[in-house]
Amino acid sequence: MPRIERQAAVVWEGNVARGSGSLTALSTGAFAELPFSLPSRLAVTQGKTSPEELLAAAHGGCLSMSLAGELTRAGFPPERLDVTVNIVMDEVPDQGHLVVGSEVDVTARVPGIDDADFAAAVEAADAGCSFSALIRASASVTVRAHLEAS
Amino acid sequence: MAERRADVTWSGDLLSGSGTIDSVGSGAFGPLDVTWPARSEDASGGKTSPEELVAAAHATCFSMAFAGGLAKAGHAPERLSTSATVTFVPGTGITKIALSVRGVVPGMAAAAFREAAEAAKVGCPVSQALAAVPEITLDAQLEG
Repeated sequence: MPRIERQAAVVWEGNVARGSGSLTALSTGAFAELPFSLPSRLAVTQGKTSPEELLAAAHGGCLSMSLAGELTRAGFPPERLDVTVNIVMDEVPDQGHLVVGSEVDVTARVPGIDDADFAAAVEAADAGCSFSALIRASASVTVRAHLEAS
Repeated sequence: MAERRADVTWSGDLLSGSGTIDSVGSGAFGPLDVTWPARSEDASGGKTSPEELVAAAHATCFSMAFAGGLAKAGHAPERLSTSATVTFVPGTGITKIALSVRGVVPGMAAAAFREAAEAAKVGCPVSQALAAVPEITLDAQLEG
């Protein structure tokens, strides 16, 4: 099995409440010098990304690829999958801020598939998405999916 | 409570299809293209991947938790440079995350620096969310 490495780099200056950071995708250059800060992480985003938003994007990428794979294996390659992921972080008594859930919503256009085969593919995709399994070890993961008329 | 959202679109099968991280709630980035070959081969073709985004999430989370811990100990950092490297084995998942941090922290002793780094590695919300990753390593060194 190949081992693939992906690296991101961060520079942070100052204390946590008033300092700020900058994020770059070192391996790919897909994004660079994205600003982030604590106030924009916990309250209004002010156009800044956050660890939890990056987790949402990671989960969306993982689940959509996993579902495309499962649907294709079942003989129904998808025309289009729209996936929205909402990561919820909450303050838990005695534990501070924790990621408590990832809510995944899928709208799919898949020619020829019936509801039962679609539901089975969604379940297999969630089980096969390594990121779902990671998050599920410490938080809830819900996947809601529905078929769109093609 | 804070909620953060991302929208992804995928078209076609896994091996020859392609996806886009269309947008995120903050508007900070996107659209970003993703594909299976770019994710599962060494050559990314400049495309991001779920694992790169996990690396980004972990590096940002760790940096903030570390800055918070240092400030609480009376030594707010001048600068922390952090990298996170995620190892992905297709078919298995994420097998390792390597965190590396270099800090410029006036008046701080090396041992206390490493101790605060270790606490941030354990305590930051992304570390806790990813606690099921088999191996998470940390290399923390003071500079200057």
